[in-house]
Amino acid sequence: MATEGLGFLGLGIMGVAMAKNLLKLGVPVCVWNRSPEKCDALVAMGATAAKSPAEVILKSKITFGMLADPAVALTVAFGPGGVVESIMPGKAYVDMSTVDAETSMTISKAITEKGGRFLEAPVSGSKKPAEDGQLVILAAGDESLFNDAGAAFDVMGKKSFFLGEVGNGARMKLVVNMIMGSMMTAFAEGLSLAEKAGLSQNDLLDVLDLGAIANGMFKLKGPSCIKGSFAPAFPLKHQQKDMRLALALGDEVAQTMPVAAAANEVYKKARTLGFGDNDFSAVYKAIADSS
Amino acid sequence: MATSMVARGSAPLLLRSMALLPSPTIGAQRCATLVTLRGGRQHFVLTGQLQSRMGAGNSPVVHQCRRCFGVRASASAEAESSEKKPTVGFLGLGIMGVAMARNLVKAGYDVTVWNRSPSKCDALVKEGAKFGASPKGTSAACDITFGMLADPAAAIAVALGEDGVVKGLGPNKGYVDVSTVDAETSKAIAEAVRATGAQFLEAPVSGSKKPAEDGTLIFLTAGDRALYDEASPILDVMGKSRFYLGDVGKGAAMKLVVNMVMGSMMASFSEGLVLGEKVGLDPETIVQVIGQGAINAPMFAMKGPSMVKSAYPPAFPLKHQQKDLRLAIALAEEVSQEIPVAAAANGLFVRAKKDGRGDDDFSAVIEALK
Repeated sequence: MATEGLGFLGLGIMGVAMAKNLLKLGVPVCVWNRSPEKCDALVAMGATAAKSPAEVILKSKITFGMLADPAVALTVAFGPGGVVESIMPGKAYVDMSTVDAETSMTISKAITEKGGRFLEAPVSGSKKPAEDGQLVILAAGDESLFNDAGAAFDVMGKKSFFLGEVGNGARMKLVVNMIMGSMMTAFAEGLSLAEKAGLSQNDLLDVLDLGAIANGMFKLKGPSCIKGSFAPAFPLKHQQKDMRLALALGDEVAQTMPVAAAANEVYKKARTLGFGDNDFSAVYKAIADSS
Repeated sequence: MATSMVARGSAPLLLRSMALLPSPTIGAQRCATLVTLRGGRQHFVLTGQLQSRMGAGNSPVVHQCRRCFGVRASASAEAESSEKKPTVGFLGLGIMGVAMARNLVKAGYDVTVWNRSPSKCDALVKEGAKFGASPKGTSAACDITFGMLADPAAAIAVALGEDGVVKGLGPNKGYVDVSTVDAETSKAIAEAVRATGAQFLEAPVSGSKKPAEDGTLIFLTAGDRALYDEASPILDVMGKSRFYLGDVGKGAAMKLVVNMVMGSMMASFSEGLVLGEKVGLDPETIVQVIGQGAINAPMFAMKGPSMVKSAYPPAFPLKHQQKDLRLAIALAEEVSQEIPVAAAANGLFVRAKKDGRGDDDFSAVIEALK
């Protein structure tokens, strides 16, 4: 049943945008999502919907997965009707979820043992870069698969890195998201302190944008924080998950990380305040309302 | 396309063309007019000043904008001498001060310099500055005096000490403190300055060694508005942008907030590089990946490569970054704002200082994690 088609598992905020970009390649695209109705939009654009991850694997040359967290990534790989069930020589799985290195290696082992090829490929970038095909792809694992996936990566992203053995992609993603999470909290502290000290928050944004610490995230999130709008491009609960995984990575190698640890505490507080499904910039509310 | 004559003493300038353009070098909403002078040389002239000068038939202001096209020619120098520029004092010739004072000398200002260790004045005196024997003597001899001191203690000593700035001030003079200090220090200096009849402007800068050398600093000013207006052309020689934020204390607060965020970012970046390397990633690749994403900041691109090589040539000394974090924490406490990430970052900077890294670049905070 081998075709030249591509498969996509997981049609959340990221997956739906990435799968739409795959359709631009003009090849058959087969999709699956735990709640099947999320497939409708893609089917309307020309994709086909499958009943299980295993079915997608069978129908596709390369299948991409974009799942929420390690637990879901493992279920999609190993559960009934999962990826591993139908993986075989000639089939390939590219897991683009953000997970810890162990999860990635577990999935990789099972797939390669059955003769399939595996690549982990978590991404840097959230909703808009996903829609615009501007993701940064951090791949590791089977290098031949990295090359074969090139066309797909080029339509989903602006740059892809091959980082070596499975686990390195996961680790790189966690390191980057750890810095991002700490930066967002530091930014929230700055915005809050500015307001309490009687400064204009918009002046602060202007000053930051002119200097050495100007960056796209501040430029994008600053105005929305000030307005109090936190529609999720990257859900806070996922950012906190990434901080937790990064800290666990630090634990493994006894690496001190006080700033990340402090930031993680603020995300936890934000979750208890009910902001888990908001954009991760809602950590601003946890900081601003803290006095 | 208007053509008109602007009297300039005995040598009128023929304006060939005028175009209203937003000035990229001046902050916020100021507009500049591009004037083409006889000989084809062009300048940005702040529109308000041009219009008032043309109307009065007085000598024109030819704004010495560093981003103006063309070469500084004798016509330019003529224009300047007929327009009286304030005499400028500059106190404090450290990493920042020497570069800032140098730009003022190059721009043709009459500059008097002073430094606690007088030998630091030698180079600038060779380049045309005058030697100031004391802060008092300098402020007495100059219209507007600038102070670029390391910390609150130094700022207070220079302003209020024996032979301090205040002793030389009086009506029609101004003191612009471009040091980074807390609001209380700034207010104390402001009060003493104003008691002499002089005006005060706090004006800490955002930007370190290279922006100081390149004249691309950002001034975060607060205090006497008239002094701000008077000093703006001088600020524009040293900087690319300036903000007037209100009463004394606002400039200090803005600087502390910005540097608090910067210190936290540098500490977090350091954690990423060290953790990454420890788990088998290539630190140079980490820097590249960050350079591609939403958190890409000039600071990371500038400092990352040297940090990866454990090199920390001081553009912004670590001891000053830690001082700024300490002052930011004090400010946060005053207004009851929790800042746990900044507090954690401060801990790392304190550790790095204790380990002897105080005079290294603030990026040396990464050593505190190793």
